[in-house]
Amino acid sequence: MTLTSLGFVAFALVVALLSNASRSIEWRSWVLLAANGAFIASYVDRPLHLLPLAGFLALCFASIEFVRRRPSTPALWATLTLIVASFILLKKFSFLSEAWLLPFPYLLMGLSYVLFRALHLLIDARQGELKEPVSPRDFFNYTCNFLTFTAGPIQRFEAYRAQRQQPLMLDESRVLRAFSRVILGFLKVAAVSAVFDNLFQTVSGRLLDAHAAAAFSLPAFALTFVTAAVCYTVYLYYNFSGYVDIVVGVGWLCGQDLPENFNHPFLARSFLDFWSRWHMTLSDWFKTYVFNPLLKVLAARFRSPKAGPYLAVAAFFITFTIMGVWHGTTSVFVIYGLILGAGASINKLWQVLAGQRLGKKRYKALAEKQIAIYVSRGLTLAYFALALTCLWVDLTQLLVIAGRLGALGAVACYFGLALAAAAGFFAWDSLAGRLARLQLGERAAFRGITAQNLGLALQILLIVTVASFFHKAPEFVYRAF
Amino acid sequence: MKLIAVQVARLLAALLGVYALLLLVCLVLVPLGSGGNRLDTARAGSTLFITEPKYAFMARSQLNTTTDKVILLGASNVLVGLRQDQIQPHVPQLEVHSLAVSGSNITQVGQVVDLVREVQSPAARAHTSYVIGLWYGLFAEDRARWHTPDRVAGDTDIDIERYRYGFYRRTPNGPVPLLPPRYLQAGTALVHPYLVLDRATRDVTKSMRSFISGKSAPTTDEERNAIVLSKAQQDQYLSFWHDYMGSTDELKEAQFQTLRRIVDQIVSAGGEVVLVDLPLPAWHSQRSPLWRSYASHMEPTLADLQKRPGVVVVRMGDDNRDDDFGDEVHPKPRVAPRWAARLAKTLNAEGDARQANFARDSVSGLHVE
Repeated sequence: MTLTSLGFVAFALVVALLSNASRSIEWRSWVLLAANGAFIASYVDRPLHLLPLAGFLALCFASIEFVRRRPSTPALWATLTLIVASFILLKKFSFLSEAWLLPFPYLLMGLSYVLFRALHLLIDARQGELKEPVSPRDFFNYTCNFLTFTAGPIQRFEAYRAQRQQPLMLDESRVLRAFSRVILGFLKVAAVSAVFDNLFQTVSGRLLDAHAAAAFSLPAFALTFVTAAVCYTVYLYYNFSGYVDIVVGVGWLCGQDLPENFNHPFLARSFLDFWSRWHMTLSDWFKTYVFNPLLKVLAARFRSPKAGPYLAVAAFFITFTIMGVWHGTTSVFVIYGLILGAGASINKLWQVLAGQRLGKKRYKALAEKQIAIYVSRGLTLAYFALALTCLWVDLTQLLVIAGRLGALGAVACYFGLALAAAAGFFAWDSLAGRLARLQLGERAAFRGITAQNLGLALQILLIVTVASFFHKAPEFVYRAF
Repeated sequence: MKLIAVQVARLLAALLGVYALLLLVCLVLVPLGSGGNRLDTARAGSTLFITEPKYAFMARSQLNTTTDKVILLGASNVLVGLRQDQIQPHVPQLEVHSLAVSGSNITQVGQVVDLVREVQSPAARAHTSYVIGLWYGLFAEDRARWHTPDRVAGDTDIDIERYRYGFYRRTPNGPVPLLPPRYLQAGTALVHPYLVLDRATRDVTKSMRSFISGKSAPTTDEERNAIVLSKAQQDQYLSFWHDYMGSTDELKEAQFQTLRRIVDQIVSAGGEVVLVDLPLPAWHSQRSPLWRSYASHMEPTLADLQKRPGVVVVRMGDDNRDDDFGDEVHPKPRVAPRWAARLAKTLNAEGDARQANFARDSVSGLHVE
């Protein structure tokens, strides 16, 4: 059941109606359990294909309960190692020998996000923050919630438990808001991201076709590469943020307040700022469970106060490298991780050195200048867009592109894209500012229920229209990670 | 629960209202299109249907008549070499339609036959003859031809049109009509706004799309008539077809069985089939192992099929001068009238034979209208 299918819309509607059929908290929990089971089962043909996921869940559940009862560092490390090793095996990382892998097809989707939630519970259990046992039903509903199973957002267990105990209270405005959010999500995924995916496929097709690419001059090749990178970035953003809009909106109807995952990432003025706005729950997870403990360990090892900022540089490098590697199972994702790690650590190093050189006040004043803001935004987007290349090529293709561009070409691509993006952001902001002054959304004519429903109807027609242009519904891209 | 149901009802009402208004506006601004008096997929680009498969799918309703008609089927070499507008004047007693679709394989040809039969009464089927243009590319395996990243694996171009506006639904056993074929015209009218928007969007973005995809401007007839292929170009074409056919040099017998089934289906309904073995430039057939495989499968197939009543075979393989082709498959524009005349000769001969049979059967009281 793909999230962009009519089947999912009908399914979500039925789950929302059933969730609201009784005020009982238990009823809602059972409805969620049934929905989660049905959703996951829709991805497989035979029960056997669910067995590895079931085994992985059982292992995680038993490990968490074991550590909760006997919280100790050796217990944590033993169970953590077992869980991560099982995950690597089940995800079929490319360095594993065939002999290690299960000899039948099975459901891989959702495993990464189950892992994040399970590790969060495991570490919290070790730290004594998980006072009460987690029931199997709550564990399944938390780790396999049909709304977040595919690609998050990664909700914290405390938040899940708190809202599970709240009665579901809907009113007319919340229902309308939920519908608006879901339809906006579909508009992003099925219209905007589909258009950019189409552009990306066309442009990257020419770039990766050896015959077509050979005919390009170096500037034309660089321009084609940058265009493909930008199209992919826009596609990825609208695809992923649209998915989040859909699940958050459906969640509101089912009594779930899921955390937001995006906060205008293209407003980010630095790479580190970007990651506090993009896939926020994943960034938070890595900050809590990788960066912070790592920094603590490094700080204990290197006690000099002068070393402090540089330890953060190192911790950022390691954290972002791991985060990048997590995105896939092949060698190109190691390069992606290293690029992310380099971006984060260079960004931190710049902050440290510029702060030292200019002084905090002058550095802050400089960073607040409008031109600096737009240039920073451009540099940030350019770095991210070019780094994302690793998600749409394999290692050989990456090396071919890099070889063709050369160091100078790559640098030209980066700064050229950064300048173009800065100019684009400026133009966009100016236009948005003018439109905002019209205050269309504030006018009474656009605020009534009928007017809002007419607006939603127009959006649906736009979605159907654009969908009819293409041969297949766009896949949700992050399901592969 | 009630709040959600009320919101769903409001949204549906708004959707119906907005769509009705849009339909009205589109019908006023752009009247309902049709495929013309004679269907010709080569003209699809100038209609609201835009593409050949969409044209074949949506314009076919008018084939449900008992007038004697011939429908041309096949791939782009049929569109280029056996042109509807060049054949029609040679056979005024027949309606000539072309539903050839570029890039077709034999599976898709069978689907077009199914689409036509779907909208026809048994009497109309008996008055329908099909001309199928054959060459080795038509026998590409479905796995090689239709399992590409731009589509749901296995969907042909015709399948895509079946699903595009929800006229068919996807099932594990293939497409199943949601809209009964007899309501096709009504369905086409209902999706008129989408046809208009699709056309408008494509027209507005045409130059941008051409720029992005790097497609060169279409060549003129004069330019195509003047083309001479180099050895390197020939090599590229051979390599392309090797990859296109699934990186193989051998065709599978299953695809030829599909051709037999299509012929049986048409003949059993009282229709007739003209199988045209289309020529390739001599250099192509001499150097292509795929052509040799095709020839070894096709000889016994044609020998067997032409024994059946209602089946005629036209062998045009001798019309294979290298200079007559603009590329590895398609004849130059100056050659198409010759191909048209050659096919028309067969169609007229068949028409005469049919008339003679009709007269004989009428005299002996065998013919029942």
